Amino acid sequence: MSIALIVFLPLLGALLAPLAIRYGRNACAATAGAASLAAFALLMSHLPGVYAGEVVRQEAAWIPQLGLSFAFFVDGLGFFFATLILGIGLLIIVYARYYLARQDPMGRFYAYLLLFQSAMLGIALSDNALIFLVFWEMTSLSSFLLIGYWRHLPEGRQGARMALAVTGGGGLALIAGMLLLGEAAGTYAISEIIQRGEIIQASPLYVPALLLILVGAFTKSAQFPFHFWLPHAMAAPTPVSAYLHSATMVKAGVFLLARFWPALAGTDIWFLIVTPVGLVTMVIGAFIAIFKHDLKALLAYSTVSNLGMMTMLLGFGTPLGVVIAMFQVLNHATFKAALFMSAGIVDHEAGTRDIRKLGGLIRLMPIASVLALIAAASMAGLPLLNGFLSKEMMLEAAVHTEIAGIPYLVPTLATLGALFSVAYSLRLAWFGYLGPTRESYPHHPHDPPAGMWGPVALLVGLVVAIGLVPPIAGPVLARTSMAVLQTDTLPYYSLAIWHGVTPALFMSITAIVVGATMVALYRSLSTAHAALPHPEAKAMFDRTIAAIVALARGVTGRTQTGSLQLYAGIIVAAIVAVGLVAFLQGGHAPGAREMLPVNTPAIVAWAVLIAVSGVVVFAHVSRLITLVLTSVVGLIVSVAFLQFSAPDLALTQISVEVVTTILLLLALNLLPRRSEPERSAAARWGSGAIAVVAGLGVAYLAYAVMTRDVSSISEYHVALSKPGGGGTNIVNVILVDFRGFDTFGEIIVLGIAALAIFAMLDSALRGASARRLAEMLPSRRSGDAHPMPLVVATRVILPLAITVGVFIFLRGHNQPGGGFIAGLVVAIALIMQYIASGYDWAAARARYNPHAMIGAGVLIAGATGLGSFFFGAPFLTSSYDYFHIPLVGEVELATAIAFDLGVFLTVVGVVLLALFQISRVEHKADRTPVPAGPYEPPYDRQAAPRVVEPARDKEA
Amino acid sequence: MADAATLLVLWPVLIPIATAALTAALWRSPAAQRWVGMASLMLLLAASLALTYVVATEGVVAKQFGDWAAPFGITFVADPLSAAMIAISGVLAFAVGIFALSDIRPRHERNGFHPLFHGLMAGVNGAFLTGDIFNLYVWFEVMLITTLGLLVVQRGRAQIDGALKYAAMNLFGTILFLIAVALLYGATGTLNMADLARILPGMEMSPGLTASALLFLAAFGIKAGVFPLFFWLPASYHTAPIAIAALFAGLLTKVGVYAAFRVFTLLFEMEGGGLREIVAVVAALTMITGVFGAAIQWNVRRILSFHIISQIGYMLMGLAIATPVAIAGAVFYIVHHIIVKANLFLLAGAIRKAAGTDDLRKAGGLLKSHPWLAVLFLIPALSLAGLPPLSGFWAKFLVIDASLREEVWWLAAVALLVGALTLFSMSKIWMEAFWKKPVLVRATPRRVPVAFVAPIVLLGAVTLTIGLFADPFVEYARTATAVLVDPADYIAAVFPEEGPVQAAGTAYPGTANHSQGAVE
Repeated sequence: MSIALIVFLPLLGALLAPLAIRYGRNACAATAGAASLAAFALLMSHLPGVYAGEVVRQEAAWIPQLGLSFAFFVDGLGFFFATLILGIGLLIIVYARYYLARQDPMGRFYAYLLLFQSAMLGIALSDNALIFLVFWEMTSLSSFLLIGYWRHLPEGRQGARMALAVTGGGGLALIAGMLLLGEAAGTYAISEIIQRGEIIQASPLYVPALLLILVGAFTKSAQFPFHFWLPHAMAAPTPVSAYLHSATMVKAGVFLLARFWPALAGTDIWFLIVTPVGLVTMVIGAFIAIFKHDLKALLAYSTVSNLGMMTMLLGFGTPLGVVIAMFQVLNHATFKAALFMSAGIVDHEAGTRDIRKLGGLIRLMPIASVLALIAAASMAGLPLLNGFLSKEMMLEAAVHTEIAGIPYLVPTLATLGALFSVAYSLRLAWFGYLGPTRESYPHHPHDPPAGMWGPVALLVGLVVAIGLVPPIAGPVLARTSMAVLQTDTLPYYSLAIWHGVTPALFMSITAIVVGATMVALYRSLSTAHAALPHPEAKAMFDRTIAAIVALARGVTGRTQTGSLQLYAGIIVAAIVAVGLVAFLQGGHAPGAREMLPVNTPAIVAWAVLIAVSGVVVFAHVSRLITLVLTSVVGLIVSVAFLQFSAPDLALTQISVEVVTTILLLLALNLLPRRSEPERSAAARWGSGAIAVVAGLGVAYLAYAVMTRDVSSISEYHVALSKPGGGGTNIVNVILVDFRGFDTFGEIIVLGIAALAIFAMLDSALRGASARRLAEMLPSRRSGDAHPMPLVVATRVILPLAITVGVFIFLRGHNQPGGGFIAGLVVAIALIMQYIASGYDWAAARARYNPHAMIGAGVLIAGATGLGSFFFGAPFLTSSYDYFHIPLVGEVELATAIAFDLGVFLTVVGVVLLALFQISRVEHKADRTPVPAGPYEPPYDRQAAPRVVEPARDKEA
Repeated sequence: MADAATLLVLWPVLIPIATAALTAALWRSPAAQRWVGMASLMLLLAASLALTYVVATEGVVAKQFGDWAAPFGITFVADPLSAAMIAISGVLAFAVGIFALSDIRPRHERNGFHPLFHGLMAGVNGAFLTGDIFNLYVWFEVMLITTLGLLVVQRGRAQIDGALKYAAMNLFGTILFLIAVALLYGATGTLNMADLARILPGMEMSPGLTASALLFLAAFGIKAGVFPLFFWLPASYHTAPIAIAALFAGLLTKVGVYAAFRVFTLLFEMEGGGLREIVAVVAALTMITGVFGAAIQWNVRRILSFHIISQIGYMLMGLAIATPVAIAGAVFYIVHHIIVKANLFLLAGAIRKAAGTDDLRKAGGLLKSHPWLAVLFLIPALSLAGLPPLSGFWAKFLVIDASLREEVWWLAAVALLVGALTLFSMSKIWMEAFWKKPVLVRATPRRVPVAFVAPIVLLGAVTLTIGLFADPFVEYARTATAVLVDPADYIAAVFPEEGPVQAAGTAYPGTANHSQGAVE
């Protein structure tokens, strides 16, 4: 049967379980159980094959471009872990049904649990390093959701987040490690990778790959110094702890080490990292566990210790170490799952998990207590139970291991670890279950329903069975170990209770005797322990996070201050720095083009330009003077255009200059007269230096580029302007024809700019800004707002100016002119009406809608372009012909003129809209109270009567 | 000439332009603008997908404006990268358009939301399609000005302040862009990108050209929001209405990234001039400062704004490494990111609606009151953090794999670390907004409107599709990269009858001698 189905059946269950909850809690649990059971049955269908030594491989493409496929294989190791995952998973599903309270959302619980189960199965069975990573990250995520299941508990949320940070972070290291491993092995197929150990270990990528993979394994399996997340994950509901921390999540790291053992193990670096890490974890975890009062915390540290032991055994790099490690995986899964579930029973029935408040439970809840005591004895490594067997074998192996040339180091520390584990197990048994009965417990303890102790009993049955008849575990152990080692021959080992008088026996006896003594002397030891320093992992983790946040706040707070000057300064400085890099690379000779002779007007213009710019630096506090000076700069630029035979540009520049200066003058009226006070002298000099360097840089670049002698596409434009574009004014033909699309874009920019100004200034009409304006403006009225000579002059000029505009527009294609300039000229003439006669007078007579004008302009320009489609020509293709118009004579008309009309309309619309809005702001701010109603467009006839119009009276 | 395939290159720009003009002309009727707008977005989506289909099946498509042969007129080119960007922005605009139906208030519409929105789409699509470097500048201007307008459709002190900073710094960027174009034109005498791609490889890097390249980098860097040029982004993005912020988050910075990829594959080499090293360092610092900035925020939109910056770093990583694998990774990254990031902003809007606040310290309890919202949040959030099997994982996988292959260990390490911090940051939103009990107790949970949910579902579905069926997307990214790395197809599409390669200093055909140039 399909292996992928084993992995995906629980996933299907994860989707169905939350739906089944509407048919009741039993239906929900049954759905989850059925999904797991089906997967289990499928897995078991592989049992004969696997134990006949077959390896079943199945593959389906997923993302072949990345080398990723749904590749799965079942061999002894995968089968063994999958059996643990599904077997214990089923027990947990039953147990959780009775454990969860009525108010706990059960559908969500089973969804998370099955998602997690699916991810774990994926890890155990995948045959592609990349899909392995996918499942690996899925376990991090689903365990985050499981640990934080009781989301109302802050410790649950924090524990979940810590687990995610540590295991997720480790997962990222693992990603990098796997990529390197795949690179070194030349394949992502795990079944191939593990047969290429020699190639991999000879590769220069071996060491970085190994280190990264170990980080992934150690974080997942809670090895020192990453062990701290596991105890905090105990905030999860107990079924979750029992599942994640006995058989699955934390074993994923061990599985990783075992799976890639043939590829990675056996080198010095492997031994020197993995063994000590495991050893230290084993001892420290066991030591901390002795003094924990919370049952689950004690079990958590015991888990850390046991994982350390497995890691150490795999680190030995010997086949025997692997065999013992696998045996320990099996034994630990059975007794630890039983113990976690027992802790859950105690919590459920007695209302507390604090050892100090417990004791004597054996008389109150005999069945559950006996089961827990047997499991605890196995954890202590007492004879006739499975924990004894693997611990004895571990001690024996430790005796033969030498690290850093010190023969007694490993055995001594291993014995110490064993001793501590006896101590915590006995403490759990004595203070929790045996000992005197308390007078009161938070709840009245009694045996739970069979649904809760049943799963425990099943596991304890296994504990006893293996303990009494060790060879029944033989085939499983042999097949699993062979799969890990990728060999058919195993080293000699014997699964027996009695191995004769060996060093391990003495070590075991020492451990049991000293451990028991420690529990007897617990009170004094506990006082001594209290005096020791207690590095609190959560506090350290929190401090680390706080430090990162503080660093972030420092960096961000310093730079993201909200000061535009600072931002601009940093940006310009960065660009200057980048420019320096370019400059320092040499080759900065200017081009070879001949220089033009210098003449007096050019020198004068140049001197004025520099002087004016210099004065702006000092005079900028006064906005009016700054505006006047910058307009001088604009004028000189237009003179420069004339000098270089570009009358079109000069015309455009002058008219733009006029319009912007007028609009800015109007806008200035809305601003305080003087700008903000200067910053400190140091800041000014700093900014000055940056500005000067940047300016010099740009000047140099301009020089370098203008002295180069390069042919360009403009020669084609010059040559084809008349024959191809039908106009002798090359600039205009470029604007409306060769590069008409640029112009099209630019009129959109103009139109949108007007809309933006409109939106932006609208805010000045209401609220605080309007009040400020109202206070500011009336004091600045001149005596005669609308001087008569000006009024008369502008009225006379208007028709003339419009005629000039039309003239400029029509001649544009052949002579300097065009839609853009014409639009500006007409706009200026209209602006003059507003200036001379006042806003109200002009607005009342304005029979045009600037918004519509802008829209129409863009549409006309676009339609002209589209019109060419009807002639089968591309967008914006122009054509031209000669027409005879009476009185005017022969006239050449190009379709581009319609395009130019669009430009013209847009320009006029834009200027008028901007003007309307600026004047309206001043106008409205003039009156108190501040208008609060919705905005009425100025061209709206209905709005006009509201306004008293002094100009109209005058005229009458 | 005017066959259907080449016309398709125009529609993604002409449709939004026509809509912008039409909605501006319909200024007084917001309802009419809304209808025209939605119809146009549907048309745009169809046109964009059609273009992508044509490019995917027929290869690079080019179109000359005004029937002037390249390089004398303006060219639009749709290569696989452009087409992908067009398609993804079409999808995004459609989704945001639906969201806006509920999010955008009449007062926003009175301030010109519709013309500005479509104007922005015209600018973005124009930038993706143009094959002319000066025309690209024009589209950048269109984007700049429409963005500015959109930032102030919601009026308020914060908005005006944000808009001012946005405008000041981005104007600076466009000026740099213009200088860079001038330098390039001064050195080569042409503006057509395909023409430049023919000419530049034969030229040695003069100071003007080196400066031009670096100024392009700086100009696009400001647009893309890279370190240390990103200040405008966190100053302005969170002030706009959600629909607008989502559009910005998805598209604006990515246009900068797109332009950088275009210019630094088609025109300039990444090798030499210290360019590669600069980009690598900038990429790393961008990732780090972005994620650090997010760490101290409690406002969902501010957190997300800083993550935009951080994610840009990953895309630049691809440019810094510059191998085909890396560029393909970055292309995939851009496509994935546009959808995910915009979706997260839309979700921020939904969270704000559901919780009544976007301050995480005050929000909470959404898992209980809006469980489906939690699921919809997890999709883009986990994708952003790069968890498999979502699109972000493949994106990160590709760029990190590329940097490991090139043995740029430190950059890969930074990318992984920032990935972990991003995950941490997303878990913060999850814990505070979804898990925690609400601080402000609300009697009845607020309903989130359908117009909010529909686009979130749509974009989430796209993310899932890219994640679960990544193969065609990766393949497409590789095809796009092939055209970028070897622009022969691109050039051939623009110059169908391959003329002689134009070398510097020789005259263009059909022109008189010009030894004195235009200066008389």
